[in-house]
Amino acid sequence: MPDLVVENVAVRLGGVEILKSVSFRAVPGEIIALLGPSGSGKTTLLRCVAGLERPYQGRITIGDRTLLDAGRGIELAAEQRGLGLVFQSYALWPHRTVFENVAYALRLRRGSAAEIERRVTEALARLGLSHLAQRFPHQLSGGQQQRVAIARAFVYEPPVILLDEPLSNLDAKLRDEARAWLRTLIRDLGLAALCVTHDQVEAMALADRVLLLNGGVVEQEGQPKALYTDPRTLFAAEFMGINNRLDGMIESLAEGHARLRIEDVTLEGEPRHDGLATGGPAVGVIRVEHVRLADAPGPNRVAMQLETAMYLGERYELALRRGNWHVRAYAAEPPLHGPELLIEFPREALWVF
Amino acid sequence: MAAADWTTAPSAGLGVAFLRVPAIGIAMVLVLCPILLVVYQSFLSDPFFTPSAQFTLDAYRFVLEDPDFWRALWTTLALAAGMTVIAVCIGTVLAFIMVRTDVPGRSFLEILLLVPIFTSAVVLAFGYVVAAGPVGIVSTWVKDVIGVVPWDIYSLPSLIVIAGLTHVPHVYLYTAAGLRGIGSDVEEAARIAGASPFRVALAVSLPMVRPSIAFASVLVFFLGFELFGLPLVLGDPAQRLVLTTYLYKLTNILGTPSYQLMAAVVVVIILIAAPLVALQRRLLRDAGRYVSMRGKGVRIEPLRLGASRWLALGVILLWALVTVVVPIGGILLRSFVVSWGEGVHLLDVLTLQHYRELLDYPNIVRGILNTLGVGVIGGAAAVACYTALALAVHRWQSKWVRVVDYLALAPRAMPGIVAGLAILWIFLFVKPLTPLRQTMFSVWLAYAVVWLAYGMRLVQGTLLQIGPELEEAARTTGASDLRVKRDVTLPLVRNGMLAAWLLIFLIFVREYSTGVYLLGPGTEVIGSLLVSLWGTGAVDLVSALSVVNVALIGLGLAVALRLGIRLHA
Repeated sequence: MPDLVVENVAVRLGGVEILKSVSFRAVPGEIIALLGPSGSGKTTLLRCVAGLERPYQGRITIGDRTLLDAGRGIELAAEQRGLGLVFQSYALWPHRTVFENVAYALRLRRGSAAEIERRVTEALARLGLSHLAQRFPHQLSGGQQQRVAIARAFVYEPPVILLDEPLSNLDAKLRDEARAWLRTLIRDLGLAALCVTHDQVEAMALADRVLLLNGGVVEQEGQPKALYTDPRTLFAAEFMGINNRLDGMIESLAEGHARLRIEDVTLEGEPRHDGLATGGPAVGVIRVEHVRLADAPGPNRVAMQLETAMYLGERYELALRRGNWHVRAYAAEPPLHGPELLIEFPREALWVF
Repeated sequence: MAAADWTTAPSAGLGVAFLRVPAIGIAMVLVLCPILLVVYQSFLSDPFFTPSAQFTLDAYRFVLEDPDFWRALWTTLALAAGMTVIAVCIGTVLAFIMVRTDVPGRSFLEILLLVPIFTSAVVLAFGYVVAAGPVGIVSTWVKDVIGVVPWDIYSLPSLIVIAGLTHVPHVYLYTAAGLRGIGSDVEEAARIAGASPFRVALAVSLPMVRPSIAFASVLVFFLGFELFGLPLVLGDPAQRLVLTTYLYKLTNILGTPSYQLMAAVVVVIILIAAPLVALQRRLLRDAGRYVSMRGKGVRIEPLRLGASRWLALGVILLWALVTVVVPIGGILLRSFVVSWGEGVHLLDVLTLQHYRELLDYPNIVRGILNTLGVGVIGGAAAVACYTALALAVHRWQSKWVRVVDYLALAPRAMPGIVAGLAILWIFLFVKPLTPLRQTMFSVWLAYAVVWLAYGMRLVQGTLLQIGPELEEAARTTGASDLRVKRDVTLPLVRNGMLAAWLLIFLIFVREYSTGVYLLGPGTEVIGSLLVSLWGTGAVDLVSALSVVNVALIGLGLAVALRLGIRLHA
């Protein structure tokens, strides 16, 4: 199956630039997560590929089929693109049975009755829905509805399947399970999949590659691990994971070293972008799980007041304070001694932007 | 079949353009032609079809120099303003009582409150005359008790009060809808702070629905301009004209039909009504925005009134007594008695004679059948047309959507009687249509055009209840625009269409003014027959026929309630 290529797609809605020249490529069998906060343009991008939104600029192709070429005035209607789309609300047709929901696309393609029967049965069996074929959508649970929506989207073998927040309507427990089987299913089908989500954990778990969008542009693109451990921008660093943010100013700068002054202490960190200048403002970001309790003074260790310790089940979360800066940290056990604790911000884990 | 063939659906047969072009085209012709024809006629010296007709401003000169016109204009203004004040004051209070308090019997009262909307204004007017006129049954009773009748039903204040009372439901509906969008927490907060229920209504609830009230006020003021039945019946003996009745009287002012004068008056009416329609549109949008801000799922806890809820019930029942029971009861009673007056014992004069008499007039029998026909068949046809037009622009991103919006609104600026006149001219003017003038088609067309805005709102409201993703899902699986409408949109709105049909039935059966100029052998409907029979003074027939009209509407209402259809768009 051919690649999906999106080039320089831009969308304007009511004078507002929703998407500013976004490009990416998806190869068969690859799951790409479109991740970003609300308003970042991720759903718009998905809808552009589906043909439900009209970009004023850009090209979208699948192999040698051009779906969109704004420059040449080519724009295939949604129904001519032959893609599969799973809606956030599932959008099952309430007046049709499960079987008919799935069969509709095949009927549109004028399949023979036997062929339709065979394919729909196969698709339903694959998702464990065989016994529900004659039910109506409102008679199904949320998880079952989601499976029907997915069956409906892949039954006609589209080269690319688009998923708009496919898990967000499931309750938390079901969501974790669904994540695993959805990934397996897409893998098995050998489809390219584009999956919109605002949940970074979901994006990292589900996808082979993550496209992090912010304000209509791709902020960073890469494998989940790269995105998490090697963020290029402050936004990427703060969007992924749970973080402490330390506002300060650059005291000195050297190759691979940045000294960040926060109130009365100086921490050493890793400079993460070229715009930093000595004396200029900077932001330190450190993942909460990287903040450590220390037992003796040393470099990058700061005395902080323990405000409270919260029990989270598998660990404790500590709320710490020094002057006007607040820091969160995890600990296996609640600290036994004193309200004042020594906190270490490991140099390699403290990113300075 | 090769696997690749499954990917894209075969290209669709008919494009959606095959729906859009004719639907929008026909709507445009039907809406614009009458308006343009009226404007054109107003600048001519003679009827537009006579060869001697020339361009002139004489018609305007005549109308604007006619003192009767100015009197009619001022009367209309006074009537519209007065009834607005009355309707808004009572309507908002009733809405508060109904929506926010624990007044007993709310579900029954809700129906009672809607009755005047679905009752023909001429029927109500006849009802007031036979019940509270100089020799009316209520007047007679009152005179027996206190010696005099303390009101004159034919005076301007009476007309204003009656018009105001019968338009309370309009204000009630919009205010109530607004109030339902507010959570009770704001009211509870005020009560805990020490406010009485009455203070809560005045200081918290009603100010929060100000946009709804503003819309309802403009709507009622506008309806005041359109008023025809009430001033025709109640203003006639005192020779008091409003713009619509002035127009009606112009028909015979000069012996020959003075088309250009009528057209000039119509243009004046449209010029006044159009900005009001535009204002309504804006206010409705504002009101909608205001309510939708509150999000979904607001909890409504009725305010406990304690003993004073019986007082609240009394207020509503008093309104219902004056607005529903007196006129409808009056006309009902009148239709079963030979006559009444001082000293007549009702039991002695009971009769079914008037109903038997109805059957003696073939045109009345035809009128009843025609009314049913235009309601049932015409209603269905009208809903089909509205649906075609609504579907044509449904989920369409184009500037044409706005065009259709305004197109649907344009006939609102023409009171029914005016639209009827314009359509009559179209039938006279377009030769291929002339044979149809004597058929119910002409009446149906006029009704369908006059109620275009209402019908479109009904249908579009239903269409908008379908989540867009249901249609998008069909698009992405490979269905063309037209296929989506057929396979997804229409099946999902079937119930909504049924409701629209029933509401249009009620409206078409109630309608009277639009058919006035189209009335002729073959085109009789109850509404226009009532107007013309009243002119001949046949009170017996009018009463019986009015009851038939009310009964038909009652039947429709019963079906609607049985099916659980919401009675307002």
